[in-house]
Amino acid sequence: MKVSVIRSAVIDARIDEVWAALRDFNSHDRWHPAVARSRMENDLDGDVVGGVRRFSLTDGAEFREQLLRLSDREHTFSYCILDSPLPLFDYVATVRLKPVTDGGRTFWDWRSQFRAPDHRAAELEKMVGQKIYEEGFSGLRRFLAEKEGRPQPPGHREATAALATARDEYLPSKALVVASAGGPEVMTLGDVTVPAPGPRQVRIRQTAIAVNYIDIQHRRGISAGFDLPGTPGVEGVGEIIDVGDQVNGLFPGDRVAYMSRKPGSYAEIRCVDADACIPVPAGVSDIDASTLLKGVTAGLLLSRVFRAAPGATILIQAVAGGLGHLLSQWAKSMDLTVIGTVSTADKAKFSRDRGCDYPIVAADDTSATSEVMRITNGLGVDYWVHSSGARGLDAALACLSRFGHCAVIGDRNGQVMPLDVSVLKQRSLTVSAPVCFDYFDDRSNFLRLVHQLFAKIQSRTIIPAIEAFPLSQASKAHSRIENRQTMGAVVLTPGG
Amino acid sequence: MIKVYRSTVLDTPADRVWRDLRDFNGMANWHPSILSSRIENGQPGDKVGCVRNFQLKDGARVREKLLALSDYDYTCTSAILDSPLELSDYISSLRLFPVTEGNRCFIEWSAEFDCPLEKVAELSETVGNGLFQTGLDALKKSYGKR
Repeated sequence: MKVSVIRSAVIDARIDEVWAALRDFNSHDRWHPAVARSRMENDLDGDVVGGVRRFSLTDGAEFREQLLRLSDREHTFSYCILDSPLPLFDYVATVRLKPVTDGGRTFWDWRSQFRAPDHRAAELEKMVGQKIYEEGFSGLRRFLAEKEGRPQPPGHREATAALATARDEYLPSKALVVASAGGPEVMTLGDVTVPAPGPRQVRIRQTAIAVNYIDIQHRRGISAGFDLPGTPGVEGVGEIIDVGDQVNGLFPGDRVAYMSRKPGSYAEIRCVDADACIPVPAGVSDIDASTLLKGVTAGLLLSRVFRAAPGATILIQAVAGGLGHLLSQWAKSMDLTVIGTVSTADKAKFSRDRGCDYPIVAADDTSATSEVMRITNGLGVDYWVHSSGARGLDAALACLSRFGHCAVIGDRNGQVMPLDVSVLKQRSLTVSAPVCFDYFDDRSNFLRLVHQLFAKIQSRTIIPAIEAFPLSQASKAHSRIENRQTMGAVVLTPGG
Repeated sequence: MIKVYRSTVLDTPADRVWRDLRDFNGMANWHPSILSSRIENGQPGDKVGCVRNFQLKDGARVREKLLALSDYDYTCTSAILDSPLELSDYISSLRLFPVTEGNRCFIEWSAEFDCPLEKVAELSETVGNGLFQTGLDALKKSYGKR
C-alpha cells in the first residue's frame, strides 16, 4: 500500500536560523530526540548531495539514508532510506521551509511517500508522522532555545500529554457489574468513570465484546480468577482513545482486539495492557475480530495440542457453538473429516453449512457412540475435542482410533473427571487438558495463530457466525447460551 | 523582475480558508481596499481564464485574469491586465499550506512584476504592504491568528 505522510508546523525562529540547523544532513543527532548517533559515510560533509548518513535511534534501530537534493535557495532537501529495519519501501522524504514574513517565523513542511505492507500502513504512517516528524519539530525548537539560552518550551509529547490529561483524565462509561454470584439477572448495567491509561496501557472505546463460557462461570462464582463485585469478560475489540506512557506502536484511532486473563471487558470504555492489543487488519470487521479467543483456541487445538494428518477424522462436541463452528471450518481447511455433535436438527443444518461433514443430533452418549462408529466404519475417530466434562468422557475414549487423542477443553463445573489410564493403554491413546492462556504466554506462537485466524477470515475460509446483543442485554445473551439456544458466537455491542 | 512576498499563519484549517479564497470573485468580501468585484462576461469565478474587474476604494479599476486555480494545492494565480499602476507582467499567487500541528494554515502571497527603476521602492511598498499585508491582516482578523 502506498503511504503518504504530511506534517507541518510553525517554528518561532527566523528561517535562516532554522535552515542553518537543518541543512546539515548529519545534524539530526543534535536536535532530534529519537536519533542517538549519526555519522556520514566516507567522511563526507553533511551538505554533499549523494552523501549517506548512518544513524541509530534511541531504541537501537539502525538506518542508512541518502541525501538526494539540497537547495539553499528553496530551503529544501530530500532524502531516501537505503536500509531500515522497518518495512518502509521506496521511502522518499522532503523537508521544505518557508518564511512567515509576519513575525519572523518559519513554516516547516515535512512529507514523505513510501510503500508498506497493508496491515502495517496505518501504524507506520503514525510512527513516521508522530515519532519522527512531530517529535522532530519539538526537538528543533528545544535545540534552538538551548542555543539561544532561552527558556525551553515543553516537549511536544509532554505538552500533548498534559493537554490530554487535563481534557480526558476520566471518561464516563457504562459497565456490567456482578455484585454477587448467581443467574444471568445478577448482572446490572451501571455508570462508571474510566481513568486515563497508566504506563504500558491503552484506553479503548469498545465496539464488540465476545461472550465466552468462562464469563458465565465467573458470573456463577464457580471459576477462579474473578473477584466480586466485578465486571466479566476476557476479550474485546475497539478503537484506541489514548495511550499511556511507554506504549510503542499503538496510537489513538487504531482498531485493536485483545484478550486477557483479567476479566472486565463488559464495558463501553476500559483500559487494557498495550501488550495484549493486536491491530485488526483491514478486511476483518470489528465483530468478526471479536472471535479472537475462540478462533485462536481453534487454531491451537489443531496445531500445538494435537496435529491431525490430512484425511484424519476429528469429532467436535457442540460443533454449532462459538468455538465449535470456528473449529470445524478451520479443521475442514486442513482437509480433516469433521464429525460434530449438536442438540437440535436446526443446529445440524447450521453446522453442515460450516464445515461439519457429519453432524450428529445426539440424544445421549450411547447413540452418539454408535453413530460415530457407523460413520467411521468401526475405526473410530483420530481426534476428539471434548467439552462436556465428565459426562461422556468414557464414551469419547471408546470412540478413539489407535493413537487417538482426546483434548478435554472447558471446565464445565469444576467437577472431578476421573481418568483410567489402563483404558489409554489399550490403544496407545493420549489425553490432554489444554488451558489456552497457558499456550498464549508464548507470544510468537500466539501471534502466529492470530495471523492465521485473521487471514482465514479475510479469505472467507472461516466465516464467523455471530449473534449480537446490545451490552445492556448481556443477561439475555447469557441465558440464551445457558439454555443452548444460540448458534455460533455471541457478542455484545456497546452503543448498539 | 521585482519580487514581493508576504506570509502569515491563520488559526483556521486550510480547507475552511480555501473555501472562501478559491472564489476569484470573492476578494471584495475580505480585502478592505476593494470596494466591489465582478467577473466579466458572466463567467463563473472558478473558470480558469476568466477576468475579474475590481473597483478599489480609491476609485481605481483593476482587471485581472485567472491563470491557474488548484484545489489540490490550494493555489490561485492571476495576472494584471489593466491597472493604474506603472507596472507590467505582474503575476501573483496566493497559496495555502496546512499546518498539521494545531490544524492551522500557512498562507503566502507572492508577486513578480517589472517596473521603471525609480518606481521599485514605491511599488514594492504598494503591493507588499498596501495590497498583501492589508489583505493578510484582514484574513487574520476574520480567521484568527497566533
